[in-house]
Amino acid sequence: MKKIYNNPVGESKYTGLIFVMPFVTGFILFGIYPFAMSFILSFTDSGINSSAEFIGIENFRRLLNDSDFHKAVAVTLKYILMLVPLKLIVSLGTALLLNMNIKGMGFFRTVYYIPSILGSNIAIVIMWSFLFTSGGLVNQVLEKLGIMPVSWYGESTPAMFMIVLLRVWEFGSTMIIFLSALNDIPRELYDSARVDGAGKIRTFFSITLPMLRNVIFFNLVMQSITAFQEFNAPFMITGGNPMKGTYTVSMLIYDEAFRYYDTGYANAVSWVLFTMTALFVAVLFRITRKLRSDDI
Amino acid sequence: MNYIKHGRIFLIISTLFSFLIMTSCGQTEETTVLPDGKLDKCTLRFSWWGGDDRHEATLKAIELWNKKYPDIKIEPEYGGWDGWTEKLNTQVSGDTAPDIMQINYDWLINLSKDGLGFYDLNQLSDYIDFSGYDTETLSFGMREGKLNALTVSMSGRGLFFNKNVYSEISAEIPDTWNDLISLGEKFSQYGKYPLDLDIQTGASAWYLSVVYVQQLTGKQFITMEGELGFTPEDIQTALDFYKSLEDNHVIRTVKQRAEDDGSSALYQSPKFIDGTVAGVLEWGSAVGKYQSVLDEDVLCAGNYLSSDDGNHSGWFIKPSLMYAISDNTKYPDEAGAFINFLLNDEECAEILGTSRGIPASRKAYEALENSGQLCGISYDSSQYLLDTDPVTLSPYFELSQLKEYYNIAIEKLSYGTADSKEVSEELYDKVKKYLERIK
Repeated sequence: MKKIYNNPVGESKYTGLIFVMPFVTGFILFGIYPFAMSFILSFTDSGINSSAEFIGIENFRRLLNDSDFHKAVAVTLKYILMLVPLKLIVSLGTALLLNMNIKGMGFFRTVYYIPSILGSNIAIVIMWSFLFTSGGLVNQVLEKLGIMPVSWYGESTPAMFMIVLLRVWEFGSTMIIFLSALNDIPRELYDSARVDGAGKIRTFFSITLPMLRNVIFFNLVMQSITAFQEFNAPFMITGGNPMKGTYTVSMLIYDEAFRYYDTGYANAVSWVLFTMTALFVAVLFRITRKLRSDDI
Repeated sequence: MNYIKHGRIFLIISTLFSFLIMTSCGQTEETTVLPDGKLDKCTLRFSWWGGDDRHEATLKAIELWNKKYPDIKIEPEYGGWDGWTEKLNTQVSGDTAPDIMQINYDWLINLSKDGLGFYDLNQLSDYIDFSGYDTETLSFGMREGKLNALTVSMSGRGLFFNKNVYSEISAEIPDTWNDLISLGEKFSQYGKYPLDLDIQTGASAWYLSVVYVQQLTGKQFITMEGELGFTPEDIQTALDFYKSLEDNHVIRTVKQRAEDDGSSALYQSPKFIDGTVAGVLEWGSAVGKYQSVLDEDVLCAGNYLSSDDGNHSGWFIKPSLMYAISDNTKYPDEAGAFINFLLNDEECAEILGTSRGIPASRKAYEALENSGQLCGISYDSSQYLLDTDPVTLSPYFELSQLKEYYNIAIEKLSYGTADSKEVSEELYDKVKKYLERIK
């Protein structure tokens, strides 16, 4: 057999295994092991500092009658429907702007990415929460503009919107992916379209969007998965209030495990959340199959 | 050949995986380290929560300890109250709890059901001097015959008022429930509120409503044994009382409070700092954080409210804070010696002052008395409380799940999504079922 390269660290049948071991070990310890343990614990009545007893599917049966869980699922879905489309539109819109050939564009690209770096910073979340109180900057600006102040913390939908706005503000990583995809679209396509007399709007819908369809789908899936797991922002900003209107499934898992000591039930909810996310993504794949194919 | 290679790799991975599963599912035999009669050189972790006043005092006390006992180093771990329970629970369940912990009274129920969750302090009598405690105070830390924790201070939730605001608008500090309710009208003329009650982690809205009904009926909401003492009608009376406070402009509605403060605690709220809200119901051991955001001597301790005929009963007292030692500590003697220092050492008592309320240990109490530190609003409030013949708060009262039920009930009532009868029946059922489940 012809040798095509020299292995600088010597040859052994275990060389490959040794190279991948750090990852495999980490993956087993911090990926597969907790995953498997979580599944086992979901069939127990495990609590903090107490022994776990097998209780079959009791935790899953309890889910069917748990109104808090039902509400949390509804809130999470509402959050996804509010956040994901808005974030994709804002990211794509900004990417289109930053894709223009203007001097100093590198500076603007950096500036627009900064919120994504700051986003998970607790100080920013606290600052955000102060912006929206009754005497906060947002309501002051609205008043100046002659618009009625909004009860951001007092009503469910504005409270949800406040969290959505924070996450939309962190559009940097989604935007970068769009920007990179925009750069990959061959210029000749735009040149031909211009020669054929197509305007900017026609070019956008007939060239840019179709060429971006796979990237849009990628961002759609990734953002949906992240949104399903949303915890930090509602936990820090609203605490799930008002009337549990921003209480996501991840917050319920946290409360059951760490506040009410019901880790068995928390694990069962985690598995249901995992299944819901997988199903949601599968449905997304199914309904966008035609749009993503090269036949269009 | 390839199959054999793949088979080996699979075997290695699956063996490792099975090993991990088996080691985690099996009961690991934890052996508690017994006292060895001497103090070894070591480093101990000590954790507590609180406001800045408590942090500063405790850090100074640790500094003193490190000077006196340089061989036993104390590593402080401290922070605010929010999220502290969850953090400690995670540490306890992961066997990474600090050696010495400040804990809450009700945590003993969940963290040490069988008395084995914390170190048995009775075994450390060579290092901890219990003579400053009476039997009743010691009994609060007992679980299944084991002394799991020592009470730092006995405290009750009292009313504290911004006296500058009260005098500005010529309002009297209230003595009775009716006084309090009548203050609403006067305060509303100035766009202010005489008091604040929360439905956050403190659940003070439900607390005050329960006190009102306990005084009215002589019943206890939840008994020391974890039995629900109120009927649905009693609960409805408590809820109606709460609603009357909102309706009479004594407190902000839940919605108004959320709009003003977001999810911030009251002492961080501009409405409290600027005097729009001029009163708070708070533990005597934790009032320091409210004091520290106002000018000196602005906050004063109010009376424990009574009925018009002078009935002061129904107010609660509890071991507000306790110290416990992790059952996993490798240095129980040293941890015991440090707890003794915190609770009984004169110099330490003077440094800590009333940052954790009025000390339950007689030795620390006397040290503060001799140094003239038994003063201030925390002390005033504790003295007023003793005049009311308080009831001991059941450790079940403050369980997180129950607090959540109280808060949901108050929120529903405040938002008007259900009437007090519906809410009271729902709350009664939930509390009763939960108490039956956890006992």
